[in-house]
Formats: sequence, structure tokens, C-alpha cells
Amino acid sequence: MSAPGKTEPTQAIARARTGDADAWGELYREYAPAIFRFCRRALPTREDAEDATMDIFAKLMRDNRLLQYDQSRSFTAWLYKVAANHCWDLLRRRKTRQDKETEDFENVPLEHPDPNQLDKLIEQRTSEEVRRALGKLGSRARMALVMRYYSDMSYDEIADALGVRRAFVGVVLLRARHELRNALGQGGALAAGGAS
Amino acid sequence: MTEDANLSGDATQHLDEMTCLLYIERQLDRTRAQEISAHTQDCVACRTLLRALERESRLLTRAMLEEEEALPARLAQFQERAHKSMQWIWTLAFGLAATGVYALYTEYIEPWQTQLDLAGFGGSNLLSLLIFQGAFWKGWNSMVTLLEVLALLTVAGFAMVFFRKRLRRGSALALMLAGFCAALVLQPASAFASETRKGESVAVDRNETVKTDIFLMGDHIRVDGNVDGDVFAFGHDVIVNGHVRGDVFAFAQQLQVNGQVDGNVRAGTNTLTIRGTVAKNVLTFDETVNLESNAKIAGSLTVFVDSLNLDGAVGRDILSMGKHIGINGKVDGAIQVRGEALTIGSSAEIHGPIQYKGDKPPDVSPNAKLVSPVDFQKLEHKPHYMEGHYYVWQVIWLGAFVLFGLVLFQLMPQFSREAVANAERYGASFGLGVLVFFGIPIAAIIACVTVVGLFVGISTFFIWYASLYYAQLVVGALVGQWLMGRTNETWPLIGRMVVGIVIVRLATVIPAAGGWVKFAVIVWGLGATSLALYNRFQPSIASTPSAPYAPPLPPNTTVGGMQPA
Repeated sequence: MSAPGKTEPTQAIARARTGDADAWGELYREYAPAIFRFCRRALPTREDAEDATMDIFAKLMRDNRLLQYDQSRSFTAWLYKVAANHCWDLLRRRKTRQDKETEDFENVPLEHPDPNQLDKLIEQRTSEEVRRALGKLGSRARMALVMRYYSDMSYDEIADALGVRRAFVGVVLLRARHELRNALGQGGALAAGGAS
Repeated sequence: MTEDANLSGDATQHLDEMTCLLYIERQLDRTRAQEISAHTQDCVACRTLLRALERESRLLTRAMLEEEEALPARLAQFQERAHKSMQWIWTLAFGLAATGVYALYTEYIEPWQTQLDLAGFGGSNLLSLLIFQGAFWKGWNSMVTLLEVLALLTVAGFAMVFFRKRLRRGSALALMLAGFCAALVLQPASAFASETRKGESVAVDRNETVKTDIFLMGDHIRVDGNVDGDVFAFGHDVIVNGHVRGDVFAFAQQLQVNGQVDGNVRAGTNTLTIRGTVAKNVLTFDETVNLESNAKIAGSLTVFVDSLNLDGAVGRDILSMGKHIGINGKVDGAIQVRGEALTIGSSAEIHGPIQYKGDKPPDVSPNAKLVSPVDFQKLEHKPHYMEGHYYVWQVIWLGAFVLFGLVLFQLMPQFSREAVANAERYGASFGLGVLVFFGIPIAAIIACVTVVGLFVGISTFFIWYASLYYAQLVVGALVGQWLMGRTNETWPLIGRMVVGIVIVRLATVIPAAGGWVKFAVIVWGLGATSLALYNRFQPSIASTPSAPYAPPLPPNTTVGGMQPA
């Protein structure tokens, strides 16, 4: 994908808006790996991610959804938003959400966790372990973490994609982190917390 | 909730994790962030927690961004497949369009081309007739072969594609086209010289010799002298008694050719009378044409006429469409006639076959000298909707409409949407549609008869003609939207267009009323298209073309937060 600071292919985007197949090819080559990785993180299986990536680009091309893209904004961000909406719709349709409803957000513990244990956990865990742990999370938790820490989406965008109030986005993210720590095997103590 | 959690400057009252997370994510307001910053100066535990959360964020990002899996081959192939599927569609569309063009060419254009060849338009082809063999385009005389024309069009097509990719702005494209037209206009203008005479009565006197082409405009026009070039005459009465070495072009109430014309005669008159000699061919649109007994046309005669009386001689073929055709002279070639009545008199001498399609059987004098009997085919005027193949053709036309619409809506999705939207401005659409429907052909004809505008005029006419079909598609799409709801996306719009065009086409084949329905649909759609085109050239509107399609903004559009102090 376009690295931060890298110029977006505005010429190709403009041509793709007119239905230029070559320009679509260019955009696909540029963005498909990033979108596939996004889907890979957000969806349960590799096959799901492949299907979703193809569906996202196929829909974009078939309906020429680029016409809905506001060219004054970041194309990468817009594309991630499209991908996030697609993945979340997919997960919702499958009814695989494991998250509890909104009222559960209120039950997030506000205690001060043990920072040293957290530090130690982070120190010990590798990226691969984190990725494996991500796969064990509920759909909403995983989506939230992917949107925030992979595609750098804003709280507003996350709220919009997940269909929750903006004020709850932080809660969703914190709950997701707790789930992740649990999945990493040390979460219990951390999530329960304890003043140092 | 957590963002409102009380904080204390006391380092023993630790920050909750939610607040820490919002702080490192820059989601807190400035005051709260400063409080937290101050607290962490003194509280080691909270500072450690902040750092741990930041490290956790970085770990998450790193874990997700790491590219442990290559892009699957299936996805790499998908691009090719998508591209190929598009190519398949375009190949199909192009193939069908090419078949349609070929059918059109063999069905209509080629027979006419044959006839026009006989009429003496350079013995070449229709394109050369229209573009390069016109009398106003002498500079192009060397470019007469179809091959050259195709080569030129191919280059122009590549140039269009090339610039289309680079010149996104319509104004730049318009400038390029204007430059191209200007180049066409200017180049031939310098290729020949001419003289113009205007007045109530204008003449080329008996002893006078004009060395160039001459334009004569007035009520009464006489050419008694010699003209080495062509004669262009626009007047009430035009009489050619002298010797014209070039062609004669005349638009007049009456034209008399009493002298000698070494070239062709091409005319649009009320009455054309030829008593002299025309060394080449005659093409004319008139009410009455008289070829008197001493008249001689060495080439062919192509005539669209109410009444033709031929007592003179024609060296080659005759093609005639008119009501009453009377032949009492000599014809060395074949005769093709379509009309109400054909009379062949006793003095007639015809050396070629005669084909006659008409209402009445031919009246042939027994004394007429014919090489073969008249091949007569009676025209039947039964209602066309009684014929079976009429419906087959309607289905074929419907398919062609759908294909035409598919291609155009894909090529110009945004413009098509705008045109369909403008069709809902009923008054403006109909008003402008009437203006464009009648105005553009008139303007094209005017352009054609001026020195500079033949190419522009013909191009305009073709664009106008294509717009008549596009107009029906626009109205079809609107009708489809009435039934299936509005849409801003291309394929759903095409779907609505298909449904709508079926309904529109059905409405246009209703006996008696169908013609009026078709006219109304064309005017309506033409107006909507023109409005969309007009809006495109309005800077204030053109600057925000994507505004209606901007994605909806999230309910809270301000991203709160600030840099940690």
C-alpha cells in the first residue's frame, strides 16, 4: 500500500473513475496487498480474506464506486473505510459476533492495571503470537483493533463502521485489548488490574 | 463515562486505564491532557502504564503490518481475470457494433455509393464524396482513397484516446477539437482562389472570361461568358448560356443550362431546364426537370424530382426518384426508377435495362426502342405492422438500443446520470429539445453551404443524429427510475435504462400515436442531454461534479484530541 507520506496515484484514480481498465489494474497492484492484509487481520480465515479482497475490488470496479470518493481526502483512508465496511457487513451477516451489546461497555473495569505485568507481557510476546491471539478475539474486538492499529482509522470512522456511538469507541478498543491480553495468556491479572 | 473520570493531582490516586488509553490516543481535550501530563510527572506507576499502553499499541501495529503472507496467487490472477472480463465485454460490444455497421453499410450505404459513383462523384466512395470531393475542399483532392481516410480516422482515434487520458478537462479537449476544426478550415481556404459577385442582377458577360471559381449571388444571374473554374450560383433565376469548364452548383428557383458545362451540374431548384451540354454528370433535387430534345448529358443523371421530362440524351445511367417520370429521349445506360408512374414515349431509345418500382404499371409506347422489357415491381402500401418481419426488426432494434445504451452509459456514466437527472426538468427539457431538434440540422445545413463549414456541418449532423438515439435512452432510464426507484450507480442505472427502453420502444410502435410518442421522447431526451451538456460548460457547476456522490459523513465529524503536553 501507499506508505505514509508517499504520493497517492491520483492520475490512476482519476482514470479509473472514467472506467479505464488499465488504471484499475494499477490501483489493484498498488492496494490489493494492503487490503488483503487488512481483511486477513479482520476476518477469521485466509479464504475469507481472499474472497473479501476480490469482492471489494470487484464491487469498486463493477459499480465504479470511485465516483463516491471525495478526491480532496486520502484515497488510502477511503479504501480502508470501504474494506472495513465490507468486512464488518460480512461478519454481521454471518452472525458470528461474539461481543456483548452496548450496555456491556459500561462494565469495563476502570482500575489501574499492573503496569509492570503489562510491560512484561508486551516484552515477552512476539508479533506472531499477537497475530494468533487476534484470531481468537470476537469479531467486534478484532475489527476495532484492526481499524485503529492497522489502518489508523479515526474514532469517528470506527464508530461509523461499527455502528456505535463515538464515545464508546475507546471502550471497545480497551475491551479488545483486554481480550487480547487474555488470549495471550496473561490477561487475567492485567485485566483485573490492581493498584501498584 | 471514563473521559469524565475525576483526576487528582495526587500521585497516589492513579489514573484509570481508559483515561490513559484516551490520552495516548489523543482523544482528550487540552485541559484534561494537561492534567494527565502533570500527573505523570509525579506518578511513576501511571507513567509506566502510559508507556506500557504505548508499547502495546506499537506491538499491535507491528504485528498487523508485518507481511508474513505473500499475496495469494488467486488474488494476483484476479486482476488479470477482471481485466479480461472487461475485454470480453468490450470485444463483444465492438463485434456487435461492427456487425451492425457492416449491415448498415451493405444494406443502405453501398447501394447508394454505387449510384453516386455513377452520378460522377469522383468515381470514389461516399466518404470522399462527403469530405474530400466537395467543391469547397479542393485542397484535399489528393486524398481520395478509402485507405487514406481510414488511416486518418485511425490516427485521429488514437489521438483522441491519447489526449483523453491526459487532458481531463473538457475545456482542454474542446480547445483541441476547435484547433483541429480550425486547421481543417484554414488549410483548404488557401488552396484555391475565387471571385464573388453580388447584386440584384449579376452576370458574366459574353466576352468575359473568369479564370477562377466564381460565386454569384442575386435575383437574376446570367453566365454568358467563359468561366475556367466552377460556378456557384445562389439566386432566383440562373441562366448559363456560356461555357463553364468546371462544375455548376446552383440553388435557385429556376436554373437553365443552355450553354456548355465541362464538369458536373449539381443543383437544388424548383425547375431545372437543360438545353445545352453537360460533359459529366447531373445530380439534382427539384420539382420539375426538363431535358429538352437538344440537351445532352454525357455522364449520368441522378434526380430527385416531382416530374421529370426527358427528351434529350443521357450518356450513362439514370437513377430517379419521383412521382412522374417521362422518357422520350435517348439513354445509353441503365435506368432505375422509383415513383408513381413511368411513361416511355415512342421516341425513346434505351440501351440498358430498366428497373421500375412504382404504384402503376409502366406506360410503354410500342414504338419505343428498348433492349429489354421494363422490370416492373409494384409497390404495396400495406400497414407495416401487419408484416411479420416488422416485429423481428423491432426486437433487433431493441437489442441494438440496449447495446448502444450499455456502451454509452459505461463510457459516460457521470454525464448519463446528469442527463437523466435533467430529464426531470420537464419544461426546460422540452423547450430546449424542440430548439435543438430543429435548430441543429438547420445550423448544419447552413454550415454545409458556407465555404468553411462542410466538414463541421456534416459532423454536427452526425452527432445530432446519434443524439436522437441517446435521447431515447435517457428517457428510458428515467422511466426505469420511475418504476424501480432512483439510483446514482452505473449498473443499476443501466438496468433501469433497459427496462425503460423496452417500455419506450413499445410505446413508439403503437399504431398512429406511436410516431408522436417517439417524437416527444426524442425531443424530451434531446433537451435533457443538451441541458446536461450546457451545465458541463458552466464553471460554477462543473467545479463540484462529485458533490452529490460524496460519501455520507460520520455523525461526529470532528476528531477531538490534542497532543499530549
